[in-house]
Amino acid sequence: MKSDSPKGREYWKSLDHPAETPEFQEFLHREFPQGASELNELNDPVSRRSFLSLMGASIAMAGLAGCRRPVEKIIPYVVAPEEIIPGVPNYYATTMPFMGNAFGLIVESHEGRPTKIEGNPDHPATLGRSNTFIQGSILDLYDPDRSKAVLHEGRQSSWNDFVTFWRNLYDKYAQDRGRGLAILVEPFSSPTLSRLAHLFRTTFPEARWAAYEPLGNENEYTGVRLATGLNLQPIYHFDKAEVILSLDSDFVYAGSDNIRNAKGFIDGRRVSSERDGMNRLYMIESSFSNTGALADHRLRIPSALVGAFAAALALELQAQGVVIRDNGVLGPFSRHEFDRDWIRILAADLIRARGKSLVIAGGDQPAPVHALVHVMNSALGNIGNAVAFHEISDSELSSIESLKTLVDDVKSKRITTLAILGGNPIYNAPADLNFAEALKEIEHTIHLSSHVDETSGAVEWHVPMAHYLESWGDARSIHGAISVIQPLIAPLYGGAGSVEVLSLLTTGSDARGYDIVRETWQKIISNGDFETEWRRVLHDGLLKGIASPAVNAPIDEASVFAQIGSSPFNRELPTRDNLEIAFRPSLTIYDGRFANNAWLQELPDFQTKISWDNVALMSPATAKQLGLNNSDIAALEYRGRKLEAPIWILPGHADNSVTLHLGYGRKFGGRVADDVGFNAYLLRVSSAPCFDRGLTIAGTGQTYKIVTTQNHHSMEGRPIIREATLEHYREHPAFANEGHEIPPLYTLASNHKISEQYQWGMAIDLNVCIGCNACTVACQSENNIPVVGKEQVGRGREMHWIRVDRYFNGDLADPEIVHQPVPCMHCENAPCEEVCPVTASLHDHEGLNLQVYNRCIGTRYCSNNCPYKVRRFNFFNYTSKTPESAKMVFNPDVTVRSRGVMEKCTYCLQRINAAKITARSESRTVRDGEFTTACAQACPTEAIVFGNVADPESRASKMKMQNRNYGMLAEYNTKPRTTYLARLRNPNPLLEEFEKKQA
Amino acid sequence: MNIKAPDAPNKSEQPLIAGNLTFHDVTEKISGVVESGTPRLWYALISITGLLSLMFFIMLGHLFFTGIGIWGLQIPVGWGFDITNFVFWVGIGHAGTLISAILFLLRQRWRTSINRFAEAMTIFAVICAGIFPAIHVGRPWLLFYVFPVPNQMSIWPNFRSPLLWDFFAVGTYFTCSLLFWYLGMVPDLATIRNRAKNRIKKIIYGIFALGWRGGNRQWRHYELAYLLLAGISTPLVLSVHSVVSTDFSVSILPGWHSTIFPPYFVAGAIFSGFAMVLTLAIIARKVFKLDNYITLNHLDKMNKIILVTGLMVSYSYVVEFFMAWYSGNLYERFTFWSRATGPYAWAFWIMFFCNVVVPQIFWSKRFRAHIAVMFVASILINVGMWFERYVIIVSSLSQDFLPSSWQYFKPTIYDIGMLIGSFGIFLTLFLLFVRFLPMVAMSEVKAVLPQANVHHQGPEAIELETGNVRG
Repeated sequence: MKSDSPKGREYWKSLDHPAETPEFQEFLHREFPQGASELNELNDPVSRRSFLSLMGASIAMAGLAGCRRPVEKIIPYVVAPEEIIPGVPNYYATTMPFMGNAFGLIVESHEGRPTKIEGNPDHPATLGRSNTFIQGSILDLYDPDRSKAVLHEGRQSSWNDFVTFWRNLYDKYAQDRGRGLAILVEPFSSPTLSRLAHLFRTTFPEARWAAYEPLGNENEYTGVRLATGLNLQPIYHFDKAEVILSLDSDFVYAGSDNIRNAKGFIDGRRVSSERDGMNRLYMIESSFSNTGALADHRLRIPSALVGAFAAALALELQAQGVVIRDNGVLGPFSRHEFDRDWIRILAADLIRARGKSLVIAGGDQPAPVHALVHVMNSALGNIGNAVAFHEISDSELSSIESLKTLVDDVKSKRITTLAILGGNPIYNAPADLNFAEALKEIEHTIHLSSHVDETSGAVEWHVPMAHYLESWGDARSIHGAISVIQPLIAPLYGGAGSVEVLSLLTTGSDARGYDIVRETWQKIISNGDFETEWRRVLHDGLLKGIASPAVNAPIDEASVFAQIGSSPFNRELPTRDNLEIAFRPSLTIYDGRFANNAWLQELPDFQTKISWDNVALMSPATAKQLGLNNSDIAALEYRGRKLEAPIWILPGHADNSVTLHLGYGRKFGGRVADDVGFNAYLLRVSSAPCFDRGLTIAGTGQTYKIVTTQNHHSMEGRPIIREATLEHYREHPAFANEGHEIPPLYTLASNHKISEQYQWGMAIDLNVCIGCNACTVACQSENNIPVVGKEQVGRGREMHWIRVDRYFNGDLADPEIVHQPVPCMHCENAPCEEVCPVTASLHDHEGLNLQVYNRCIGTRYCSNNCPYKVRRFNFFNYTSKTPESAKMVFNPDVTVRSRGVMEKCTYCLQRINAAKITARSESRTVRDGEFTTACAQACPTEAIVFGNVADPESRASKMKMQNRNYGMLAEYNTKPRTTYLARLRNPNPLLEEFEKKQA
Repeated sequence: MNIKAPDAPNKSEQPLIAGNLTFHDVTEKISGVVESGTPRLWYALISITGLLSLMFFIMLGHLFFTGIGIWGLQIPVGWGFDITNFVFWVGIGHAGTLISAILFLLRQRWRTSINRFAEAMTIFAVICAGIFPAIHVGRPWLLFYVFPVPNQMSIWPNFRSPLLWDFFAVGTYFTCSLLFWYLGMVPDLATIRNRAKNRIKKIIYGIFALGWRGGNRQWRHYELAYLLLAGISTPLVLSVHSVVSTDFSVSILPGWHSTIFPPYFVAGAIFSGFAMVLTLAIIARKVFKLDNYITLNHLDKMNKIILVTGLMVSYSYVVEFFMAWYSGNLYERFTFWSRATGPYAWAFWIMFFCNVVVPQIFWSKRFRAHIAVMFVASILINVGMWFERYVIIVSSLSQDFLPSSWQYFKPTIYDIGMLIGSFGIFLTLFLLFVRFLPMVAMSEVKAVLPQANVHHQGPEAIELETGNVRG
């Protein structure tokens, strides 16, 4: 932006110039009449023409920047920029700062236009994998609702004006040592931001500094501090643990290290034959998380009782001989309502696996629970094995306390200027702080944000924030890997990175992000030639060989138990009139930052399968007690605050506990976000940001339309997902196919030509699928899958090519959940192909079931005859209303389908062909693992394996050779190419026997 | 019709045409409808049906502009009202062909009073039926892809697809029915041409009468052609709905994949077709005072056919359930159990009541002769037959193999509007037909009058036998 804004130009164009006059503007636009003038430029400046020039500028050597800032060199991952070949994408490494962590990425760029994100295999936080948020974040880049101009009191202004404004203030504050100045940042972990923060604090020693995000990992760090007295980062090595106890921690999906944790956990569960072992997971939680769905044993208790459970467990461990010096603090916890046998057997199992067990507490649990968990881990000898503490550096951690102090300062009129760098506190700050009111007390307010959101509307200066794919920066992962955030494109709507804004605030001078980051890195790269090393970092996506050192921090049991002794854990069960309220991030739009992301809004919640809304989750028993049913609007009252929200029953939820997902109910979030769901932040207070009791619920007699992508939750006894315990598997290695004998089947017509070189196939290991939906979003991103909106989802017309089916098993109150990703099966004997009257659905010689869009007339007969119902129909022209800018996220290698056409999973045909073309040009065949489908690539646990099944050595072939391999509905002679590997559970035989007895 | 001289009427039977009419009476009566002024009622009716048709076409326009998403279809229910209506209308058509072709070959001379409008009904029903598969596709402008037209890409339609068979079957059926209907009408058109007092009418009817003069040779050719067409049409009665049923039975969907479908569908088609003929006949008889032509005897015979085909349909229902149980197939069993007890149970039990219970009243001779009862019954049967297709199509799709994809189908205003609109089109065409074309085959009716019998002994003999003496 900077000099681009029309008002920012300093030269004039005519004598009439006082020239922001409408006539002059009109003249400018009419110079090339009839369409040449870009439509609605101010509202949607990224039209095709301006986009072309922008993206040109983003590619190094483009040289047409004109009055834009000089072009910086960014280094492609594989192919050098001067070798850009139209039609051949380039790949660049960059980093997504998120959840206080840094996720190293490889981004696919088509002629300067980023279209697809994958994990960087070299980066410890992604390991080449990704999750829904990472996959979805590319759409945010092209969000047409992003802020497009600097606003001063709501009116369009310019970056230069803002810089001028700040320079005036800067001198004043510099003299006053920063008195009256305050800054509120989003927590970060970045060498450059950290350097600037340090500089800021030195320049303005009396300035107030606060860091807040609604879902910061504050408890975790405070817990560690309580246990060790140090600020340390706990890192978990799930792959080293044989017995895992999760205390309300959804570690496979939530939490800043979710990809690594999921992969590590699953690596400890991956079996290739009946001789392999599996880890065992015990889960204690209130709501039903993805981790809970994977658990071998799950106990549902209200969140508030998790601390008491941990204490009871610690006592039991003690009783079984583990040394925990509690000074008698734990004594009172011997009286509890938990199942004593359960705890006894659990404790015995943890002790059995001493040194190879792991206890982890959820981010929502208060610090003392975390501290107690560290005590137990230490006593069990797990620290140094499955748990390690690492140094934290370059980080600013979230602190509600700092925000509170800031607000108090504001209320006592001690703050004259507040700069909010990122975040949206008016929307998501604790409701009791009344941040909106506080903001009015301040003379000058500055807000850096990607959208003109709730907060931007209440500040003096709004500065548009650039997306991480369009601004320079750097980030440090919690493991200590440092990487540069290199932009793939010049800011589409102008906008500045937080690095640039913080630098301006700190130094008073307007520097370029590139220079600021390089300045930091001059110190980081100490040996070797800076330019070479810098280029290597950009190319690799991180500075290799750097990791935070592990710290051997002894656990200070005395202080932990002193803390627990002074404020003991709650032991009271919530009741019907005093319900528990728990706040959780949305599984799809997180804390609301992805609320304007249509992919993620439409993505169904993993457990409830609700799309486009949030709900108040409760157990069947609680709903029955309250006389409420699904979709009933209930009046929630908590600490005098009231909110109406629809109810949803989640079997397996703890009784008398209600879970609310944050992030919805936006008012100024954009065209997608606004008025979707209800805003749970309105009930959240600073003293109980995670859970509390004191909630009352009453029905209102009204109902609300909730849409789901799955309406039936039982497998109806059908052999769809096949599952056994590890023990059973060892006795019956072929259990997946036993009892499902397929009679000899004959095919009438089989005249497919068969290629001997390539036969594509897929294996999905249900034992390692965590149900995280990353595959669904990755597929949506790769294959230009349209978003259809709530109304259409309600009609059953969602378009996802790969969906994750979820079934409940067992008892309604306390069921098990199983997940199953379902893409096209690419049946060798495909029912869809037989019935298409125009041969739009047909087989190719490499075993792909193809859908020829040009030939399809849309009879939908193929879908009717598809037993897996994986075909998706364009009932309307779903892409016609795609905003111009959002069209840029489309993958140019994949057709955008018109209305009236059937579509479905292609096994990423475009990737197959690209790989074949490359192989042929190199006179070789495609190597196994050289490429894979988008779903398989995104999968954090490698549950999906794709490859050439004509090659017996390929990973896919080897998966299919395992004895757990089965074809879903294979008895219908469809001969599916996508096969499943049966799911396993590894329950504790003692506990299982005991549970059976109870039942 | 008389290929050879009609057999002597069975003395115990009532005469086929009551009222002891002369040839001239027949001509006067039937041509009179066409020649006399247009009754007010006709205007009133056609404005209603015309408006319904107009609604259909407006909705169709909207459908073409926005897409078939305006219907309630979804995944998994990819076919809903569209194909239900198609099968329903094709089924309706069957009675006409059965009456005109099979009953002709079987020398059922009573058919002459009703065959003309039954055939007309066939044509109009097939027109209504043909609309739906054409517009139900996502991209109707590319419908020609199903034509086996040689092209430079050497792409042929998929001859294994039942939808393509449908296209041929229904196309053939429509062509044959139209020819048959038109051919049978030529002598009557000539009669009207001859009687026309208005020059324009003379020319128009003249063109369509194809220069018919009623000469001996013309009659000979005519009768041979008619016989041949009857021969060609006869297998079509069985084949068309058998082919339509393969749309379902060839698929692997539980509830569709069933070998009983072809005979079951044919029986159902005749069942519903006769019910529709009955509905129309009762109205026409009343409005145009055709009691002498469509006698209680005719109605009684049709009711018997309805009873027989109704029993065949009921049998099929039972066998389907039995086979679902007997097969031991998890999915089949569930589908049928769910049909009767699940979310579509309401539709199933409407179907069951209308198609199984209602026709049982025709065991009673009294009801077979009771106009009001049979009128209500005929309408109920068609309601039931529409729901039969709805149940088969929608309930099977809605709950198939993987419970994760199950969805309940909810029709939109466009689904319902286009169903009603198709009745508007059907009835508009029918009203135009009764106004401008001879609705009873005069030449054929004359042939079954006692006077046409070479052994006819004069009107008195009949009068004495029937006691029907003209005053």
